[in-house]
Order: sequence, then structure tokens, then C-alpha cells
Amino acid sequence: MVLLRVEVAAVTRYLLSRVGQAALVLWAAFTAGYLLLQLLPGDAILIKFQNPELGLSPGQIAEIRSYYAPGSPFLDYLRTLTGFLHGSFGYSIDTGTPVVERLGEALPETARLASAAFLLALVIAVVIAFAGSHSRTSWIRGALLSVPSLLVAVPAFWLGILLIQVFSFRLRLMPVIGGSELQQLVLPVLTLAVPVSAPIAQVLASSIDEVSTQPFVPVVAAKGASRWWILWRHVARNAVLPTMTVAGLTFGELVAGSVVTETVFGRNGIGRLTEQAVNAQDTPVLLAVVVLAAGAFVLVNLVVDLLFPVLDPRLRAAS
Amino acid sequence: MSPSRLRSTAVVSTAMLAVVGLLGACGGGDAAGAAGVARSDGRPVYGGTLTYLEHQPPTCLYLPAAGFYPNGGILNQITDKLTWQNPETLEIEPWIATKWEINKDATAYTFHLRDGVTFSDGTPVDADAVAANFDVYGLGDDKLKLPVAEFVNNYERSEVVDRLTVRFHFSKPSPGFLQGTSVIGAGLVSKKTLSLPYEQQCQLKNVIGSGPFTLKNQVVDKEVDLVARKDYDWAPPSSKHQGRAYLDEIKIIVTPEDNVRVGALTSGQADMVRYVQAYDEKTVRDAGFRVYAEPTRGVNNGLYLRPGNSILKDLDVRKALQAGTNAKEVVDTLFTPNYPVATSVLSHLAKGYVDLSKELAYDPAEAGSLLDRAGWVRGADGVREKDGRKLRLGVFVAGPQPLSKQTLELVGQQWAKLGVQLEIRPADSGTQAVDIKDAEKTPLQHSMVGRADQDVIKSQFHSENRDAILSHDEKLDRLLEEESAQPDEAKRNAKVGEIQRYVVDQGYVIPLFEEPQVYGAAPYVQGIAFEAVARPWFYSVWKSRR
Repeated sequence: MVLLRVEVAAVTRYLLSRVGQAALVLWAAFTAGYLLLQLLPGDAILIKFQNPELGLSPGQIAEIRSYYAPGSPFLDYLRTLTGFLHGSFGYSIDTGTPVVERLGEALPETARLASAAFLLALVIAVVIAFAGSHSRTSWIRGALLSVPSLLVAVPAFWLGILLIQVFSFRLRLMPVIGGSELQQLVLPVLTLAVPVSAPIAQVLASSIDEVSTQPFVPVVAAKGASRWWILWRHVARNAVLPTMTVAGLTFGELVAGSVVTETVFGRNGIGRLTEQAVNAQDTPVLLAVVVLAAGAFVLVNLVVDLLFPVLDPRLRAAS
Repeated sequence: MSPSRLRSTAVVSTAMLAVVGLLGACGGGDAAGAAGVARSDGRPVYGGTLTYLEHQPPTCLYLPAAGFYPNGGILNQITDKLTWQNPETLEIEPWIATKWEINKDATAYTFHLRDGVTFSDGTPVDADAVAANFDVYGLGDDKLKLPVAEFVNNYERSEVVDRLTVRFHFSKPSPGFLQGTSVIGAGLVSKKTLSLPYEQQCQLKNVIGSGPFTLKNQVVDKEVDLVARKDYDWAPPSSKHQGRAYLDEIKIIVTPEDNVRVGALTSGQADMVRYVQAYDEKTVRDAGFRVYAEPTRGVNNGLYLRPGNSILKDLDVRKALQAGTNAKEVVDTLFTPNYPVATSVLSHLAKGYVDLSKELAYDPAEAGSLLDRAGWVRGADGVREKDGRKLRLGVFVAGPQPLSKQTLELVGQQWAKLGVQLEIRPADSGTQAVDIKDAEKTPLQHSMVGRADQDVIKSQFHSENRDAILSHDEKLDRLLEEESAQPDEAKRNAKVGEIQRYVVDQGYVIPLFEEPQVYGAAPYVQGIAFEAVARPWFYSVWKSRR
């Protein structure tokens, strides 16, 4: 009982320190984002209002600017930070809509795309790594295990266009314009999953290799376990930890890949929003995206860390 | 459908197809072929949805900023204008104004409005509403942060004469105003829209017009769905089709990727697309689809040289670059016959155009000797130098111009032969916004403007308009002001001729080609029409059996 209470206290302390770290990371991401955006030449107001059709003089533009952002950059920073702390991200300069509204529209789209792509990437990675490791024929093994290197080299942009050309325009299996949400999702998910699956497959395959050379493997084999049983029950369970770390890191890949994928497929998600906001130097939107991405990153890594002891009894004992 | 209705629809459709044929005929080679296909199809049918793919999402939809094609493609469906510019004759015809009077020196315009026209919020399109529209477009509104529109010059005030009569007064002659009432930016909106600050007027949901379509649904940056207004009954009288639009709905879907747009069209997932690249035209045609290349009738796609730059202040250098640029090679290499080689700073379809092809002839030898005379001598690396300074000029890739990067690269190769280095910079919008107004950092600009009125040349060159060359040339400004205040059409055209000659002589411009707007459409899409500057008008569009 006492022991349990000590354990709970330890976990709570651990979680609290992680939350503290997370807050620090988020603040750093916000501040770095804010500073970098300030350093860029020009700003959203200039980009938007220097439209030659509007024919505004520099004086008029300056007047508009004072209407948008009165005060010094430092005050503006503090005001924006306070806003973020209160959950108010301000208004997009480019479109005039509340940033929360834009994120609210874009986030579910990207969440659907990224989560489906991540699951598919796991499946692809596991299939490649297991099939490769299990195979006895050396050339098949070699061929399968070199697939990840190939996949990691495939640009998402090119793959997306290729998939559209083949499956949508030639075979006419999947519409890219119109169609149900499911139909709209298949090709982008595939496009995004392929590059994400590659590093996971690579690490899984090499961990399997490494674990296979450990002395307990011949022991299990000597007890009469089949190759498949050894791979599945003994080797894979040990190989999964480094793979999870990498899988957590591919989150960044998912975010970056969604920019390209969403543009190619004309999907309205965070990636596309980011691309447009960068183009327009729409600071409020960009800051919100940066903080959102950093927050998601922190969360994913926290989940990975918390899963470690669940999957590996040795780590449980150590903590 | 009653027999008489049937008969009248048949008459309407025949007449309309004839209009389509005419439109096609003036749209260049491809569209002429397209009109041939249109002839064989039957009578118009009501209903259906048109899926139209746009290249870019709309930006701010404040009416005077509607010139951007993705904006215009939407606003042209949801707003009407006082007058209708016939895209074939460029004559101004009645629309919401049934007739008008202009005083002799073009300082007072009186418009008589059609009765019974309403905005989609139910309020009437009357003298009061029209006056309110032009007060904003002509004077702007400081409190609401609304800028003045470039198509209104010398505006003074409005006067509501009676419920359906409105008069506009100008401080100086404003002969371009009548045409100005027909342009995309002069779309009429309800007083509710006008009362909103700029930010709000930018948003599509707040733009309340009297057009044949209204907004049904918008997913920002992705899709705009328009739905036909059932009670619409005030099309331009010259339109053979009257009453509500044929289509029930239009889905405008943003599809940034060029080959996705074209592939979606040819595989039957979309009915019409904007911005078919020159190299995709053949794909579209070969698949049995139609290419519509619509002229924009204004200032040509070209390079605009800034005399305020320390290298380009020398007339000889500007003339050398002009003579050393082979526009024909640009068109032959990168484009199609839908992009005619420029023969002046204005399109040959522009009002007041004069043929200056002799003055603009490609002459590299002349270019070389002009540069020699200006004191620029070739260095060891082949680039000319003077006083230790290289003959190097920077230019931004122009996002809205077709194949701008490739165009500039080819011009850069031509200039390299002369010993001039063209530094092509990618269009990062922030840097561009800062540097574009600085002749030293951006010595030349790649641009164009479309508008079917003499004033278009003023829009491009006047120091208080777009000011493409960052002009300090008082003579040029004076010529442009004289043009825009000249009430006599023939004299005005002559003035436009004088200005063209002047800017070419001064080496302010290297015209490249007459930029079209290129659309692709499925063969079953009938009745496609465009306003005078190539924005689609879907009012008379219908889909025959696929």
C-alpha cells in the first residue's frame, strides 16, 4: 500500500515535470516563431494592401497598419502571448476571419489524413520488416529490406501526382474532385503514408536483426520454437521500443508531408493553411500553427514515453 | 413545358448558340473550332451543377479589388453592373441602367434604372443604392478603410434625382466612367455590404449582390458553392437568355496543381477549368475538350523598365534591352498561337491601339552598339561592365503571369548574349512587397493589366495608379491625364496612340505578348461566355447530355 502510494507520487512528479517542460517548449516555439516572423522582410499588411489594383499610397498603407497593430513590437508580443494564454489567437490578417475558426476548419481534415496515414504507414512498415526478416532467400530479403530506402527517397509531391494520374485519371477508380469523404481520403493517405513508413520499417528491420543475434534466440530455438514464433513472440517484442521512438518522431514528417499532400490534392487542412499563411506572412495564423504543431509534438512524445514502461516490464521495474 | 415555351426556348437556344459562335470566333483559333462543336447540340436545359476548378483561392472580395481572376470568377456571377460591355463590339449596352445621358464635357452622367431589381437580401437596386455604391468606389471611405477604385477618375459626388434616376458629378471630364460602370469592380452591392468595414467586405459571405447566383456555401480556400436565384429577371437586354440562370448550382473548387486540374477535366471529374497552361492546351484538345483563350484587351504582358534605376536611367541601355529582346522566340518556345506576339504596349484589341512592330523589331546588333555607346564594355566573364560595375539587373518572378519564370529565363538567355545579366528572383511575397517599390532593388517588373478601355494604359503607367515603372516622368503623367479627361472618342484614341509611341520610344517597356486567359471546358458545356476582360459569365451556361 505504502509502496503503491510512493509509485503514484513518482508518476505524478514525472508527469508534472513533463508538463512543465511542455509549457517551456511551447513558449520557446511561440517566441522563436514570433521573432522569426518579425525578421522577415515585409509583413502581411504590406503584402495584402500593396495590391496594385487598390492603388494605395505608402502613407495610406501606414495608416492601415496603425489600425491593425498599434504600439511597439514588444507590447505586441506581450499582447499576443497573453491572447494565446487565454486561448484567443486573434484574427487572420489575410482573410479577416478569426484564427480559431480557420484552425477549427483545417484541423479535423488534417487529423483524419494524418492519423489514417500513420496507421497505414505502420502496417506497411511491419509487413516489410517482418516479411524481409522472415525470408530465408537472401535476394528476396535483400530486395524487401531495400524497399524502405527507396520509399524514403520518393518525393510526396511526385507520388501524389502519380497516384492521381494512374488511379483517378487513367483507371478512374477514385475521383479527386467530388466523391465521398472516404474516396477523397484514399489517395492522399497513401501519398502521405509511404514516406512516413520508410524510417519506421528501416528501424524495425534493423532492430529485428540486432535482437536476432542475441543469445536468448538460439535458446528459444533449441526449445523447439518455430521461426515465426521466435520472430513474433520474442524478437519483435524487443525490437518494438526503438521503433516506437522513431514512430513518434515521424510526426514531424506527417505535418511536413501534409503541406505537400494537401496542396496536390486540394485538401483544406493545416498544411495548406500553413502554406497560404506563409505566402501572405499571416503572422497570427502562423503563430497558432507553430504552437499547435509544437503542442502536438510534445503530446506525441509524452505518449511514447508513457507507453515505454507499459510495453517493457524492465523499464517498469527501473522506474 | 407548354408548346409556346418550347418554341421560344428553341429560338433562344439557336440565337444563343450563334452568340457563342461569334464569341468563339473572336477568341482565337481553338475557340473557333469549339464553336463548331457547339452548333450540333440541342436546346438549353435547366438544372444541373457546373464543377469549375480554379487555380487559386479568392482573396479579398471587396468589389474594386475584384480584378484578380479568382475573385472576378465569383463576383461576376453574384453581382450585376449598371452597364454591359459587349465583349465583341466593346460597346456599352444597357443592363441595370436602361439608358443614360452624358453632358458634353463628360462631367455629369445621368442613369435611368430598371424597375423591380432587388439585391438578394430583398432591398431594391434603386437610385439611392447605386449612388451609395459609386460614392464608395469614387471617394473611398476613411472610416471604413475602403480604398478608391482605379476605374473611377475625377469623381466628385452623386445626386439622387428620383427613385430610379441617379446622377454622378465629376470635377474634371471623366470619359472613361461609362465603361467604368461595366467593369468587374463596379458590381453593385447592397447598402448593407457597403456599410461594413473593409475587412468585412473582403469576405464573400458579406457580399450581397443582385446577380443571377447567390452564395450557398463556402469552405474558405477550398470551395465556393453558388446557387441560382430563382427570381432573377434582369439580365442585360442584349442577352438572348432572360430569366433565371440555366444551371442550378456552380461548384467552384480550388485546385492549385496544374495537371490535376487538367486531368480532372479530361477524366470527367470537372466541367470547366481556369488557367490551362500553354503546354497543356494540346492535351485538352486531343481529349476532345475545348480550349477557350480569351483576350484581355489591355496592357500587354511585358517587362517594365524603371528609369529611376541607376543603370536604367540611361535611355540607350533601355533601348538596347528593348532591341535585344526577342519576343517572338519567347512565344514560339513557350507559348501557343493563343498568345500573340506583342506589337505595341497595348493589345491589338485594345482601344486606341497603334501598330509599333517596326519600332519593336528584334535587332541584337543595334542593341550591342547602343550598349557600347553607353560605355558598357564586356568583361572577362562576358558580362558588360562600366566603372567597375556589372550590367546586372534583377526581376521578380510574377506569380499571376503564365510561365513567368520560364519567360524570364529565356529573356535572360537572350540578354546574356548581349552581355547583360538578368537576375531572376523567386516571388517571395514579403521581399517582393518591400522591394517592388524600389527601382534600385527591382529595376524591372514583369506584369500586365487587362481592361477594355483607354484608361488601362493610365492604370499601368500613371504615378498615382499601378505605377509599373515608378515614374517621375511628368510628361508621361500629363499625357495620361489628358487621355483620361478627353471626352472625344477619336481624340482620346489618338492620345492613347501618342502615349504608346512615347513609352516605347522612351524604352519604358519591352512588350512580350498579348496575355489571354485560357480555360478548358467539356464539350457538353454550352453557352460559355466571358465579359470583355475574359472573366467567365455562367448565366447562360447549360449542360447537354454527357
